[in-house]
This record gives sequence, structure tokens and C-alpha cells, in this order.
Amino acid sequence: MTKLGPFLKALKRWLNHPLTVLGSVAIALVLGTSGWHFVDSLRPIGDLYIALLQMCVLPFLLTTIPLAVRSAMTGATNAVVIRSLAGWIVCAVVVVAMIGVLVPVIVFHFVPFDGSTIAAMGALVGGTAGKVDLEFPIDQSGSSIGAAADSGLLALVPSNIFSALSTNDTMPVLVFAAIFGTSMVVCERRSGRSLFSALQSLHDACLLIFQWLNLLVPIGIIALIAPQIAPLGPRVYIVLAHFSYVFFGLSAAILMLSIVILAVALRLDVPLTFARFSRPLMVAAATRNTLACIPIAIETMTRELRASPETCELYIPVGFASLRFGTILHFAVATMFVGALLGRSFSTGDILMVAILSVAGSFATLGISGAAALVPLAGVLRPFGLPYELAFPLLVIIDPLVHMVRIMLNVAVNCIIPALAAGSRLPQAALVIPAE
Amino acid sequence: MPFLQHSPAFILFCALTCALLTALLPSVSDPGFAADAENAAADLTSIKAAGVLRIAITHFDIPPFHTRQPDGAFIGKDIEFAHELGDALKVKIVFVDDPPTFDAVVQTVAKGDADIGLSKLSQTYDRVAYVRFSEPYLTLRHALLYNRAVVSRISNGAAPEEALRAFAGNIGVIGASAYVDFATADYPKAKIVPFPTWEATIEALKSGKVDMVYRDEFEVRSILIHEPALHVEFGAAVLSDRRSFLAMAICDTCVKLEEFINYFIAQHPRAYLLDELLSVQYAD
Repeated sequence: MTKLGPFLKALKRWLNHPLTVLGSVAIALVLGTSGWHFVDSLRPIGDLYIALLQMCVLPFLLTTIPLAVRSAMTGATNAVVIRSLAGWIVCAVVVVAMIGVLVPVIVFHFVPFDGSTIAAMGALVGGTAGKVDLEFPIDQSGSSIGAAADSGLLALVPSNIFSALSTNDTMPVLVFAAIFGTSMVVCERRSGRSLFSALQSLHDACLLIFQWLNLLVPIGIIALIAPQIAPLGPRVYIVLAHFSYVFFGLSAAILMLSIVILAVALRLDVPLTFARFSRPLMVAAATRNTLACIPIAIETMTRELRASPETCELYIPVGFASLRFGTILHFAVATMFVGALLGRSFSTGDILMVAILSVAGSFATLGISGAAALVPLAGVLRPFGLPYELAFPLLVIIDPLVHMVRIMLNVAVNCIIPALAAGSRLPQAALVIPAE
Repeated sequence: MPFLQHSPAFILFCALTCALLTALLPSVSDPGFAADAENAAADLTSIKAAGVLRIAITHFDIPPFHTRQPDGAFIGKDIEFAHELGDALKVKIVFVDDPPTFDAVVQTVAKGDADIGLSKLSQTYDRVAYVRFSEPYLTLRHALLYNRAVVSRISNGAAPEEALRAFAGNIGVIGASAYVDFATADYPKAKIVPFPTWEATIEALKSGKVDMVYRDEFEVRSILIHEPALHVEFGAAVLSDRRSFLAMAICDTCVKLEEFINYFIAQHPRAYLLDELLSVQYAD
């Protein structure tokens, strides 16, 4: 046992090393593009990894939010930081949305679509069987009228918290946790007694579980990314080059910019920030689930990058659950792409409206995942006379990869907001982080 | 009864007048579909006795149903099916390929110039009045190819289905085809614009003369396979509750021939499969 101890420690260090994470991504990309049939058999391993990560997300949120609320109400996170958070949120949303519309306008203006690209895209829309876009009856009699969906605000209220927990309905759980945390602080003030120390223990236990699961990150990355890459042939990227170059280029720029901003805000070296922040980013790419990244993001931000824990624990769960920067960028670029494909020009007012509708559309995707998260794009396209029926089959082909990048953007941009709002938890002199 | 009180001469006059009117009525309403008295008695026995089954097809090609090769021979799914029918009947097949339109194929059968019509014919109320139709050998849903920009503008931000249901613009169809009737019935507010061929109809859509074309799902999907670039500018929709029943037109007196053909079709349930037809077309 004494001989095993150093070996296990070395193994743990190796598994948590940023180069191991990046190496796993490289292996996943090689496997995904290899065309080997066994790659698809990795899916169950990936699904198991996601299930393990999700296992503790809701208990973690139920413990973290009340603790963060207490921290905010007792002065550890003061009103200035909260105002600063709100300001940086608005800033980040505006910047991402405007980049998402302005850059494609410029690129598509100078790089128009040629006839062969349009023909190839038409073939992608219909497939080799010439699939149609719509099927509907001329006679509407007897067609069922769908039940009215819950209004936005009503959907946030957890009328039955146990039902919300059992269905993984995160937003109502967050609302409940915030209200419950507030009432616990008030009760603590009145009676001097509280459950916060117990909550802190539960919170630490959840974090420990996530630390154990973090050892599986390299395996999870390989098992989750490789099968996603496998079905996408290189032809797809050639046909959708206009969209791919702009979206992936912009995403890469925003991710790099986020790391630089993090480094500046937390007064760290850029390479060190990149090395440590790559782990939550790669988990985001692998799991394609923003909420599953909350624990690793909080851990990385507070323990490895030394961001303010109170601010991170208050903001990150709420921000990850409600602000989808990746979707904003995706919807904005997709709208400009479809517009350019059909030769539609956009006025300044149109461009602003696309940005606003992309932000609104991103909120409509809350609680939705997979290809269904593309449905709210219809609400961005149709006001400009752009057909969703054309956009969907094109975008859904490339969505496995775009989905990964969307989640990475959600994680990256959401993480810079608390860093900008509260900065580092340590004074300048104490910022000496030992290299691993 | 009062009319029995009239003289026998009056009753005879009335009977002759009625008989004359009955004989003349079809030719007055639509001379094109008038039955030829000489062929009124044609049926299975006379066809087998003659040793020839005359089959009417359109003068223009309908690949992959029937296509004329450079040497004048016909190939295609209809041609194969016709020869199999001829083998079953133990008669020779002769194709009558004069009819310039789909309606003309039916008229040719109605006039007795052909025994049956096998040319991607759909049943319509008008046609059923003049010829018999076999059981359908293929059922195709109706389909639209529409200008996305025009329909999006009409939709005004909503999903396109409603705009397509209530479309009131110009709809292109092949003239003298069943789709003139179908489009008129389904789109009473639209202007139905006939064109001589499917190619001309598609050209009209491309040039903006019409905003939508109406035909069956085979032809719409087929054009998308052959010209995929069209699918960017033009959307395709299937009307799930509208169907074309493709069947053989059979001479109006041919009761036994109809029975024979229905049995033949029942014995060949997989002769026409949509995906197979599309793949044949695609391979061409």
C-alpha cells in the first residue's frame, strides 16, 4: 500500500494534467476521423460518464446556491460586485451578439456563394432521396391544437420541487434554491441556528465526488468526442465552408479572448490560465452539457485560478443555467449565413434586430438540448423572410461539432463574468501559483 | 296513370326521343371522350381473339415510366409492366403513342383507339365518367415546389404551412393533366397556370412566372435529386391528405379485362415502389 501511494498520486497528477486533457482531445479527433467501426461502441462509455457527472449536479446546486446567497446577504459578496456582475453580463451579451452579426456580414459580402456550393448545399438539404421540407394536410379539420406552452416566467416557478428535481428541470430548482437560501439566512438571523454548516459538508462532499470523476475526464473526452466526429465526413465542412469558417473562427477567437481576459482579470499568466482552464472547456466539449460543467468550472475558477469563490458560486450556477452565449453566436451567424445564401441584404436595423432576436432565441433554448435546440432559430429567421426549413437540414448536419463549441462558449464566457466582476480572491503579492 | 291514356304513337315518339337524347348526350358534353360504337363490345374475349392489346401512352417521355430510345423502342417501368401483362394475357403488345397529353391518353381509350392507357394516369372525377380504371398500382401523395422567399413573405414570420394552405398566387401545372383538376379544387383562390410539359412548368417556376408548382411527390423529389441547387431557392412540401391513384385506364365496355388487370395488379404488389423509381431516375 505504501508503494502504491506515490504511484496513485503520480497517476492522479498525470490524469489531471492539461496536456493529458489536450492529448485526449487529439486521440478523440484521430479516432473520430479514422472511420473505424469500433468508435461507435465507445458511446455507452461516454453515456456512463455523462450520467455519473449529472448524478450530483442537482444536489450540488441545492447546496451551492443557498451558500452563495448567504455569502451575498452577509456581505462577503457585496452589492457592488452584484451590480458589476449585472454590468458585465450585459456587456458580454452585447459583444457576443454584435460579433455574431457583424463579422458574418463582412465575410459573406466579400466571399459570395458560387453555383457549385449552392448545388451541393441543395443536395445536403434533400439528401440523395430528394427529401421534402414539409408534410402537412390541406384540410385542417381534425388536426389537434397543441396545448399552450407555459409562459416564460411561469416555467421558472417550481410548483412541485420534487417533480422539478426528478425531471432535471434546472431553472425551477435554481429559483427554489435561491428562495430557500434567502429564507435560511433570515431564519439564521432570527434564531441564530441554521443548516449552513451541514450544507457546507454536503457541498464539499459533492465537490469531492466531482474531483474523483475528474480523473475520468480523459476517458470521457475520448468516448464522447470520437463518436460525434465519426459521422461527419470532410465533404460537409467543404459544402458548409462559409458557415463553418465564420462560426468556428469566431468561436476560437472568443475562446482565446476569454482566456486572455481571465488571465488579466485574475492577474495570471496567459499560458497558465490556458493550461488550467482547458480542462472545463474540454469537459464542456465532451459532455455537451453546460450544467454538468458547473462543478468543474467552479473548482477550476476558485481553486486553480483563484477567482473569488463567493462570486463564482453565486454566479456560475445561475449563469450556466440561463445564459447561452454559444447559442447567441450560433443563431446570429446562422441567420446571416442563410440570408447570404438566399441573397438577402440586411439594413442596420435588421442587423440589430437579428442580434436582439438571437439573444431572445437563446433563452428559448433553455431546458432543450440536441437538435431540438435549433427550433427557436425559426423565430430569428422567419421575421426576415428566411426559411427555417432550409436552415435546419443544413445546420443539423454539422450540429454535433457546433454543439460542442456552443457549450465551450457557454462555459468560457460565463466564467469571465465573475472574474471581471470580482477579480482574484488573493492580493497581488499572494498570486504565486505553483506549476504542476 | 295519365301518360298511359295517350295514344300509342305519342308514347312511341317519346321513347324514340329519349333514346336519341341518351345516345347523343356524352358527345354533346365532351366529344373528346365519346365512345366509339364499333368498339362498344370490346372486352377480354375480343382482345384475345385479335391477339393484340393496344396500350396508349403519352407522346412525351415520362422517365422512368416510359421513355422512347433513339431506335424508337420504348423502355421503362410501364413498358415492362405492359409486357408482363401481355404475357399473362398471351397477346402481343402494341403501344399507341400519339396522345399529346394525359387527358388525350384517356380520350384515346374512351374512343376505342386503344384498349387500355398506361401512362402514369391519375384517376379524376371527369375521367372516371368515360373510362374504367383498374385498382391503383401506385399511390402518390400530392406535392408542391414553392418559392421560399415568396412563401416566407406571405407567412409574415409564421411557419409556412398556413401560407401554403391558403396560397392565392400563380400555381403552375401540366396542362390537360389531372393536376389541373387537383389544383383547382385545392386552391380555389389561386390562378392555375397550365404549361405543356413538366420541364416548362419548372422553367416557369425558376423564371418567376409562377410561385409554386403542383404535382406528385415522385416528380417533386425527382427534380430535387436531379437539380439539387433548386432546393436552396425553392422549398418542397407534401400534402399528406391528397393522393393520386395511378391506375390503368380501361375501355368502358371491358368488364372482364378490368377484372383480369385487377388480378394481375394484385399479383404484382411491388411492381412500382416510390424509392425504387426515384433511384432508377437518379441512376439515369
